[in-house]
Amino acid sequence: MPKAQLFITCLGDQFYTSTLQNMTNILERLGVELVFPSEQTCCGQPLFNNGFEDQTRAVALNFIRAFGKSEAPIVGPSGSCVSMVKHHYPELFKPGTPEYDLAADVASRIFEFTEYLVNVLKVTDVGAVYPHKVTYHATCHYLRELGLKSEAKTLLNSVKGLEFISLKEEETCCGFGGSFSVTFPEISRAMMEHKVNDILASGADTVVMCEPGCLMNIAGGLHKAGSKIRAIHIIDLLASQ
Amino acid sequence: MTETPAYIGFEEYSEHVPASIPAAVQQATDRFVRGRAARVVELPQWEELRQIGSDIRQHTIENMDVYLTRLEEKVRVAGGHVHWAETAEDANRIVLQIAKEHNVRMAVKSKSMATEEIGLNHALEAAGIQAIETDLGEYIIQLAGTGPSHIIVPAVHLKKEEIAALFREKLGIQAPSDPIELARIAREVLREKFLKAEMGISGGNFLIAETGTLVMVTNEGNGRMCTTMPDLHVAVVGIDKVIPDWESLTVFLKLLARSATGQKLSTYTQFITGPRREEGEFGPKEFHLVLLDNGRSKILKDPIGREVFKCIRCGACANVCPVYKNVGGFAYGWFISGPIGAILSPQMLGTQTARELPYASTLCGACAEVCPVKIPIPTILRHLRRRVAQGDEFAEETLPPPLRLTAGLTSFALAQSWLYRLGTRMLPVFMSIFKRGNWIPSAPYPLSRWTKARPLPPFTAHFRKWWKARSSKKKDSS
Amino acid sequence: MTNPVIESIRKSLGCTAQTPLSPSTLLRTSPRPAIHAPRQPESTGSETEVFLNEIKKLSGVGQKLSYTEIDASMKALVEEQNVRKATAWETPYLRQLGITEILNSLGVELVSPNANKHEMALCDLGITEADYLLPETGTIVLGSSAEKPRGVSLLPRIHLAIVRPEMLRADMHQVFAEAKDRHYLVFISGASRTADIELTLTLGVHGPKNLYVWMIDE
Repeated sequence: MPKAQLFITCLGDQFYTSTLQNMTNILERLGVELVFPSEQTCCGQPLFNNGFEDQTRAVALNFIRAFGKSEAPIVGPSGSCVSMVKHHYPELFKPGTPEYDLAADVASRIFEFTEYLVNVLKVTDVGAVYPHKVTYHATCHYLRELGLKSEAKTLLNSVKGLEFISLKEEETCCGFGGSFSVTFPEISRAMMEHKVNDILASGADTVVMCEPGCLMNIAGGLHKAGSKIRAIHIIDLLASQ
Repeated sequence: MTETPAYIGFEEYSEHVPASIPAAVQQATDRFVRGRAARVVELPQWEELRQIGSDIRQHTIENMDVYLTRLEEKVRVAGGHVHWAETAEDANRIVLQIAKEHNVRMAVKSKSMATEEIGLNHALEAAGIQAIETDLGEYIIQLAGTGPSHIIVPAVHLKKEEIAALFREKLGIQAPSDPIELARIAREVLREKFLKAEMGISGGNFLIAETGTLVMVTNEGNGRMCTTMPDLHVAVVGIDKVIPDWESLTVFLKLLARSATGQKLSTYTQFITGPRREEGEFGPKEFHLVLLDNGRSKILKDPIGREVFKCIRCGACANVCPVYKNVGGFAYGWFISGPIGAILSPQMLGTQTARELPYASTLCGACAEVCPVKIPIPTILRHLRRRVAQGDEFAEETLPPPLRLTAGLTSFALAQSWLYRLGTRMLPVFMSIFKRGNWIPSAPYPLSRWTKARPLPPFTAHFRKWWKARSSKKKDSS
Repeated sequence: MTNPVIESIRKSLGCTAQTPLSPSTLLRTSPRPAIHAPRQPESTGSETEVFLNEIKKLSGVGQKLSYTEIDASMKALVEEQNVRKATAWETPYLRQLGITEILNSLGVELVSPNANKHEMALCDLGITEADYLLPETGTIVLGSSAEKPRGVSLLPRIHLAIVRPEMLRADMHQVFAEAKDRHYLVFISGASRTADIELTLTLGVHGPKNLYVWMIDE
């Protein structure tokens, strides 16, 4: 029986309880034995991306210690957080030190949720039913840093009743950018509105993505625009029966 | 705009962008993106070319002294003059000196970002020498007195009506609001200048070390005019433009026009090695190459930052950058904009002046995907953010104290698991005051910077409790 | 003896004073990375077709002509474009074709190719040959000399290049290998253009507005 550790992410922790619950249920249904290291906090991305490398180290240490206790792979619902750990944690520590070894070890076994399903468990159909018109926003780190170009669409393909509609400028950034949304709020807004307009024009009633931060941005934007279009995490869509 | 800025206030500018600018810029970038995509599909070896291009540029950067020395030797053998300019002031002084020695009263200029970098036009005007931009877009913004809004089409933010009004005002010509007519007027006006000017000033796209050859890539013909009609040609070129040989050039010529505008090749590519050799062939009697350092050599010490010098100035990064497309070129405060501007200006001007630029990005990575020479722009952006936030061997940190404090507190809160978890339990209670229905439409500072544009979802934060409850249930039932 | 810029570069790159600069030790690190293999050309007929097609795409007029069709084509061009003054390279081949005689007979005033720039600027038509042709990009490659002045392909509003199949080269690699030691080369790929005003394509900004390329097929 495969074992995995749940990485819930700070945004998931604060805002997306039901998504995390769905992630738990789907994985357990697929026969994965789950652990949840409760000492986890945040991957440290907001600090790292803003240039506070020294300050990130303490946060990263907490992460690798929390997840280093078990040898099981780590699964999380966020492309950017997973990429942070996978690509940048080893950069934070000096090679040859025990911290570096632990960081490199943890980095080598962390997966984004759809990546874990399709590439590790080799599952493409979770028995989901979602008879709606769905469009997909390809989030930046998921797409470009993790290189996940087909996993989400593969899973959506097997959802019963789902009608897939291509989103115009699917790969264009939504303007979230983590702290960017509060450091350059006007540009972030303009980018968000551009994305929302494309979604409104798509004819879909649902927009799906693999990133809590982008979801916050787009869902909020759609609501502000008075739209009834549902913005959900792919995990929530895959949990629909 | 061509003066060196004291401080680049990108965020402030971004709060007041006239709506016409993003609209115009996006039209241009959309066209170039479509053009580029069409050309890339035609070349199945595109990714290979990018890698080779990247390798050659990297190799050249790491051996720049060797190639520049060879270049100088070859230009001299060809009968050209080589001048070394450590600073912008040196370069201006050198060009002025050459101009004075030849009694130059008017110079015609083909598009050159290096001359904008050093503010050459101002230096010439101050010395009583007329410096006329001849690239149509550069000519228009020279008349308008503004900077460029895009690397390739610098006047794209101006409507034809505005340009016509500009011609009427500055040239005293009854100009109609028709692009073709306006171009015809410019052709007539500038033709007279080409034929009269005593000096032609150009930049250069590449410098071939193998033979001392200046390569110029243009579309309008003004580049040819500036370097063919006057008896004197002065080229001001950054030292980073040197490439090893002609074979290397094949790679860059295949990558450049396709990446920039979606053309296979630009209309004119000139290969100039020294002055003319015979009377009657046309071309300058004298050729001067001014090699511009202006801080580049110091940046070579930074193995991450120096990858910026792989740049071949195609503008593809700007064409895909959603941040750039929403603000246009002026926000970047200097002669170069878009993602490449965000990593070049902070290195050349310093992170005191340009500390906002590395942050003007969501790190989406679209730029790195299209860069023909694989510059890792997001990596360099983060590298420069680190310089701003905590300093490194090249500069001290320049972040305002309140932000440093915020970072410190954030790090503390996120690293102490108990404190984070306490906060996670308390926040929903506090934030429930601001909840309206299923959203938080307005929150206190600093979250107000978010809610200005869209609401926050409610702080549910229930997972940990849920997990704990089911774990104990499981334990009870087992 | 070096200079402050070179010294600064060497300091940044970590070179010591002992590192030699002689051409034989030109490459300090691994040899220059390998370049992509050059293109293999198709048949002359096919290359010519590709070449002329590309010229068309670039708003030029590309035609295959036999030697006997030159007179008529020149008459058509002169009338269509209202040519009153022309200048032409006086190369052996163009002399052999009798270009100046043909123009004279059409009542076109001839300006010497070695005239000064002010005189040549008054010409409507400039006639050259080419040194090389690149089919994939519709490029004509011109050198420069007293016999082949640069102004002829640049100043008049119409540029006519009379070329032959033996000038075709598979790609840039070949042209560079043959011509890298020339003091001047220009690649001309279409008519002068800009999109600087509201992205509207405009031809003939500073260079020639009309490009004609006649491929003479004996």
